[in-house]
Amino acid sequence: MTTPTAVLAGYQAKRRAVRPRSRKPWYKNGSLVAGMTIVGLLVLMAVLAPVIAPYDPIQQDLTATLQSPSAAHWLGTDKFGRDVLSRLIWGARVNLRIGFLAVLIPFVFGSVLGGIAGYFGGWIDAIIMRIVDVFFAFPFYVMVIALVFILGAGEASIYLAIAAVSWVSYAKIVRGEVLVAKKQDYVVGARLGGMSHTRVLVRHIGPNVLSQAIIYGMSDIVMDIMAVVTLGYLGLGIAPPTAEWGSMILDGQEFITTLWQQATIPGLIVVVTSLGVSWLGDGLSDLLSPDRRK
Amino acid sequence: MSSRLNFIPARLLQAIPVVFGVTLLVFFMAHLLPGDPAIAMLGDKATEERIAALRTQLGLDQPIWVQYGIFLAHLGQANLGDSLTYGRPVTELVLRAVPVTLSLVLFALVLSMVIGIPLAGLAATRPNGVNDLAVRTYTLVGQGMPQFWVGIMLILFLSLKLRLFPVGGYGSNITDHVYYLFVPALTLAIALSPTLIRSLRSSTINVLGSEYIATARSKGSGGVALFRQHVLRNAIIPTVSILGVNLGYLMGGSIIIEKVFALPGLGSLMLNAIFSRDFPTIQGVTLFVALFVVLIGILTDVVYTLLDPRVNFGSKERE
Amino acid sequence: MRKTNRIAFVGFLAATALVLSGCSAGTATGKSGGPSESAGPVMGGDLVIGRAPDAITMDSTSAQFENYSMAVFQQMGQALFEPSADGQKVVPLLATGFKASDDGLTYTIALRDDVTFSDGKPMTAKDVKFSIDADTATGHSGWGFVNDAIDKVNVVDDHTVGVVLKYPWAPIIGDLSMFSNAIVPENYGGKTVDEFYKAPVLTGPFMWGEWKKGQSLKLVKNPKYWEKGKPYLDSVVWNVVPDANTRKLQLQGGQIDINDTPDWSSYSSLDATAGLKTYAFPSTRIDYIALNTQREPFADVHVRRAIAFATNRKALVDAVLFGHGTVANSLLSPGTPFYDKDAPGPMYDVEKAKAELAQSSQPNGFKTTLLINSGNANHAAIAQIMQAQLKEIGITMEIKQLDSTANKQARLDSKFDMAISAWTMDIPDPDQWTTFALDPEGGSHSAFTYYNDPAVIAINKKAQREGDQAKRAELYKQLQKETGDAAFLVYLFYSPYAYAATDKVQGFNVTPLGNYHTGDMYKTK
Repeated sequence: MTTPTAVLAGYQAKRRAVRPRSRKPWYKNGSLVAGMTIVGLLVLMAVLAPVIAPYDPIQQDLTATLQSPSAAHWLGTDKFGRDVLSRLIWGARVNLRIGFLAVLIPFVFGSVLGGIAGYFGGWIDAIIMRIVDVFFAFPFYVMVIALVFILGAGEASIYLAIAAVSWVSYAKIVRGEVLVAKKQDYVVGARLGGMSHTRVLVRHIGPNVLSQAIIYGMSDIVMDIMAVVTLGYLGLGIAPPTAEWGSMILDGQEFITTLWQQATIPGLIVVVTSLGVSWLGDGLSDLLSPDRRK
Repeated sequence: MSSRLNFIPARLLQAIPVVFGVTLLVFFMAHLLPGDPAIAMLGDKATEERIAALRTQLGLDQPIWVQYGIFLAHLGQANLGDSLTYGRPVTELVLRAVPVTLSLVLFALVLSMVIGIPLAGLAATRPNGVNDLAVRTYTLVGQGMPQFWVGIMLILFLSLKLRLFPVGGYGSNITDHVYYLFVPALTLAIALSPTLIRSLRSSTINVLGSEYIATARSKGSGGVALFRQHVLRNAIIPTVSILGVNLGYLMGGSIIIEKVFALPGLGSLMLNAIFSRDFPTIQGVTLFVALFVVLIGILTDVVYTLLDPRVNFGSKERE
Repeated sequence: MRKTNRIAFVGFLAATALVLSGCSAGTATGKSGGPSESAGPVMGGDLVIGRAPDAITMDSTSAQFENYSMAVFQQMGQALFEPSADGQKVVPLLATGFKASDDGLTYTIALRDDVTFSDGKPMTAKDVKFSIDADTATGHSGWGFVNDAIDKVNVVDDHTVGVVLKYPWAPIIGDLSMFSNAIVPENYGGKTVDEFYKAPVLTGPFMWGEWKKGQSLKLVKNPKYWEKGKPYLDSVVWNVVPDANTRKLQLQGGQIDINDTPDWSSYSSLDATAGLKTYAFPSTRIDYIALNTQREPFADVHVRRAIAFATNRKALVDAVLFGHGTVANSLLSPGTPFYDKDAPGPMYDVEKAKAELAQSSQPNGFKTTLLINSGNANHAAIAQIMQAQLKEIGITMEIKQLDSTANKQARLDSKFDMAISAWTMDIPDPDQWTTFALDPEGGSHSAFTYYNDPAVIAINKKAQREGDQAKRAELYKQLQKETGDAAFLVYLFYSPYAYAATDKVQGFNVTPLGNYHTGDMYKTK
């Protein structure tokens, strides 16, 4: 999603110079380890869902609806008698998958455009940046909701809707990095030596500037998970009966005063997921560019 | 100094194609929405005959380019058209909704600063210490909680359990507004403060390590006074840009909060307009928000320039 | 109401009209004196109602005028006649009675002589003529088409109007009870149409207060209301609260007095909560699933019957309505005249379902999609239960969510397999619904199913025109049986209108047509 973070990154890019990286072993990097652990566990949970979930997440039992947590159902049952814990576990598949995949298109698209804009400058830069400004000025939820309406319900539309809104941040970040990078000696030298634009971009500038985009991507994953959850809450997300944390919160909200777990626990797991991914991002940030201040 | 501000005219000029681009984007996106205002208005019992009659009445059966032309022509006269659902001028509806969202957003920004500045300071004085880690965990948790969920939790706790605040709504006079807006603003602030804290913390660490502060310390200043007078004043500079950008971002992003708390702001206006395919309102509100974002962006850069003598937006490599 | 509705009225209201015209002018039925119970209503107080949508417009003749605007308008605007409290007939309101000429072309209507507008000016026949003419003039771009039968309106004297028709049309009295025929001051009191409806001056118990669009709409007591002693309340406010959960919490916190749409899941617990009470008013609502007969396999009646038999309506009532409803056995609902409680609509029977499917073109089941409104918890619940039920007979049903407007567009374009929908009556006559549901001339291609059975259509047309009540009942009985067999609509359940309120609210009643009168309500301290 487009946020002020991306803009700030743009500002900061201008004021930094590239400095050599320090070497600190990755396993001593607290955030990285914590992040990897949490994300790892969640991914494991998602992958092993068929094995570890006690029940089928969409299996209804209309005789046993809205039960409080018990030995048979650790988190109780929802209004169709489905086991909430199983839905939580299976939900990880949907939310994690969409959260991680949704960054790919904007990452690629935005970075490429941003890179081109920053590298070539001139009117190419001006046009691309104006388009970026248009999308940036556009109220993002309007675009997401409108696109979901236009493209129809379903997972593909969610990817496209999120992509349409988030590519802007990557464009801004990568452009900022490229602007700084292309002045560096090694680039100037390569060009003088006769290397083509493409090669310079791909072999020299690319790897250096993408690290910032990757780091931003981690926080973008968090925002995308949030977006899917919010769309689910608005009833615009994945169609029922698929288990998904956002629609679980929506379903659970009706019973917030009696069976509070059903709305609260999915929310908590979203928080834990975000925490894990953010720590992972922080750790990556340390790894890839420790001189950057968080 | 005025020479550093000479980026303003160029930026204002650049804003024009941006705003024009927004009108194009929103117009065509709105018209791509399945269904149209006639269907949205007439309910489940409407016959095809009545839908067709209403479409003609609303001018929806004209070719799309003609409709876009009419839209632009009105825009040239600063007329955003009339809401198809309410029949009132869109400008009137927007001007009524803006104060609500603006108050909410400003209130949220103030609360984020109230939360964020002390926390950032606490974290920055001893990086990687216990306080720092606690604050950084707070920032990650704050960013990781879905807004509507935080809203629901706060309502449950503050409004229902403790009976301290009302459950949503906006109230009818200024004191009411402040009272009613507290919980929604707090919800937003919890989501906002993390970005603020991160930026402030990092720039505070930079400032604390600078020679300028070392000098001040050697002269005997210390503690809170030092923080307030010297550190904060310098550290806040990059944070200003964050605040500015957040302001614009939030004006367009308050849809969820306004729904949960029943606030009649731009977000609600927009959400209803989308559901009822009220094209003029969708276009009007989007345009307004876009203009606001662009202008705030320029204003932020101005303030940033004024505060930080090292920054120069007038140089060739623009942000 | 559309053209065909008016034909529908001939049969039903012909009977009513005969009875009422026999009473002739001078009958002052309708509103009478004040309350008579010992406890008596409490004067004063403000009523706050919370609901999701805002009203749209106060112009009751315009196309945009809809249910939520109507709920507000009805507290201010009154017509010559109104539906009775049980929703079964039409009674005089601003009129005292009427007399039809022998040729059925002229209706002479006597007006009450004590009615004033909220600005104090007395209502006369000139105002009545103006109001009806203004409505008629909107034609198809508003609600004026309802008055299609009217040729002209004459002012006979200050308190009598003559309505001259183009053709004999007994339902004219019912037409004159429509909200679009509410009486406004002649020439809008000198204002333009737009100006007038921004702050309308009408005859009802409440008058215009203030409208903060998207937030709240307030009406205040009309001190000059012609019905002495009423209203009891000082003001009524409708607050816009889009989130169902927030509305519920606002009621519990005392911020609102009435929750317009509480969810069924908390209904029982709300009822048990101290200080709150729930209402379930009998309605004419039926929820159903439309099957698009233009699509394979729904062209096959055996497939349709299979789905109808596979639907466990009781389970739906329990899981979706939490028990507050009844299974639907017929096209018509219990509150509609000529409903046949013994109509043999398909009921849950898995064996029969499998048998039907075996006989059909798809003996091995098939894949299909159900269209629902996004963000609608009831739809989502019905869909998920249906999905499980259909799986038992080998039908794999996927759920597709679209926002309500996109949903309507899809149904208009016939781009759906199955879709959930519902119907409530606007008038006390089944024809409004039966024609919409099974007659392609009804304007909706048979509720978008494209069901077309000439024999059934013929029964419907006959019933429209039948004057004899007993014969009409027989025809509708036959109709209900035939449509049940054809199963082009899968009937789900009948549900009441649900409201939740604080127990201070008294006198709250919602008619089966969905109307309530705040003029009769009060709040205890």
